[in-house]
Order: sequence, then C-alpha cells, then structure tokens
Amino acid sequence: MNIQFKKGVLELCALTLLAKKNRYGYELVNEISKNISISEGTIYPLLRRLKNDGYVTTYLEESKEGAPRKYYQLTETGKKMEKELREEWLIFVKKVNSFLKGGVKNE
Amino acid sequence: MNKKDFMNRLSSYLGGISGGDREDVISDFEEHFKEGLAEGRTEEDIADSLGDPKTLANQMKASILVSEAEKTTSAVNITRAVFATLGLGFFNLVFILGPFIAIAAVLISLFATAISITASGITVFLTAIFGPMFPQYFTGLVNPAAAIFGSIGLTCFGILFFVGDIYLAKWLYRLFVRYIKFNLRIITGKE
Repeated sequence: MNIQFKKGVLELCALTLLAKKNRYGYELVNEISKNISISEGTIYPLLRRLKNDGYVTTYLEESKEGAPRKYYQLTETGKKMEKELREEWLIFVKKVNSFLKGGVKNE
Repeated sequence: MNKKDFMNRLSSYLGGISGGDREDVISDFEEHFKEGLAEGRTEEDIADSLGDPKTLANQMKASILVSEAEKTTSAVNITRAVFATLGLGFFNLVFILGPFIAIAAVLISLFATAISITASGITVFLTAIFGPMFPQYFTGLVNPAAAIFGSIGLTCFGILFFVGDIYLAKWLYRLFVRYIKFNLRIITGKE
C-alpha cells in the first residue's frame, strides 16, 4: 500500500483495536501488521504518544507463559477520540469512493 | 541482526533520556522479542520486522522529550525537544528549528527591550537624586521633580513590559509544544 495512506491511519487502527478489548504490545503489532505492512517497531512510539496524551493507560499482567505483559487500555478520552476519528474516517472514505465511482453530484 | 545487536543499537541511540523512561522503552522491545520467540520466530526475523533501531530510538526520544517539555515549562526542555525532533527527518530543520529560532529571537529581543527600559528608568532616577551632589559631572539637568516622576513612570513601564513578555513567552511555549506534537503525529505515523 502507498506509504502516504499509512500515515495517520495507524493511530486509528491502534485505537480501534483497543476499543474492542485491552491488548498487549505484541498482539497489537501483530493485528495491525497482518493487514498493513509497516515497520513493526513504529507501533511502540505511537503507543507511547497515546499514553503521554492520556488516550491509553497501561498495566502489567502475568501471562500463561510466565513473563508479565504490558497491556494497553483506552481511557474515556481515548474512547471519545476513537469514535471521532472513526466517524471522520468513514465520511472521508465515503466521499473519496463517490469520486472514484465518478458520481460527483451537481455538475 | 540478532536481539543483542538490536537492543544495543537501540539503547545507544536513547542517550539523553532519563533512566526510568529508557528502561521502559527497552522493556517494551524485550517483551516484543520474548513474545515473538515464543511464537517460534527467529531473533533475526523479529529484529528485521521491527525496523531500524536508530529510527525507533529517535522516535521514542522525541515523544518522551516533547511530553517532558509539555509537563515542565523550561527553556532547556523545549530546546531538548526541538533537537530530538531534528533526528526524525531533514524537513524538521525547516518546520521546527526555523520557527523555534525565530520565536526565541523575538522573545529575547522583547526581554532585552523591557530590561533596557527598566534600566534607563532607574538610571534617570538615580541621576535625578544623586546628580545634584556632583555638579561637576551633571550640568544642565532638567527639573529634578520632572526627572524623578518621569523616571518612576519609565521604570514601571519597563517592569510591566517585562511581565507582559513573560505571559507572551508562556503562551508561545504552549503553542509551540502543540505545534511540535502535531508534527510528531505526522512523522511517527510514517512507514
């Protein structure tokens, strides 16, 4: 996929995945890179930024394998942000699609 | 590149950030390697898909230093944040360092103006008071009462100007931190 498209979308992907359930870093990276090819490490600076801005909090939880995992959880602000970004994105995609289908109205 | 090389390179580029944050970043990647290995991937494979440790370290560093500058307002913090963003790409020279120098220059000259107005007010005041004691140096002085009141006015104006500058500086600081964060969003979203 075009690199320009990936800019900015990563944040929405991470927030959406976290809106469904709390996840740990590796899991998030895996889910995102299944669909979008990225340098996987890029997710970590993004998560840190989301944490600094108060959109997510983290907590440690033991895994079955023994080593503790750092889980990410959306805050109330984060949930609001996810909803807003998602709505904006859907409207945007709809508009672009209608251009692509040549269905520009009022012309 | 195996895990050890990756972690070494990562931590070598994390210089300049505090111990706690540094360990936090390192443990995030340690955990990532652990999970990947548990899935049966090789160290090399995991390191390759993570990407360049230098780029990652720079991105982490920029996020950390910008949030520090946001928490604690100080000239040192904002300067560190600005220089951390320079590691992220050439264009930040233009989009971040450029405006930063311009804003700093304007603020410095406004503070210098405030200080010199205050200093000249004080000088005129002292001259008006002590001048008459040394008539050999100060001849043809204006009406001392006018000089005294005028100089008090001038000093007060200088101090007010200074206080105004402080408010302006704080406002510009917050605005600029927001601007850097906006830039960081674009940059960290890349690739």
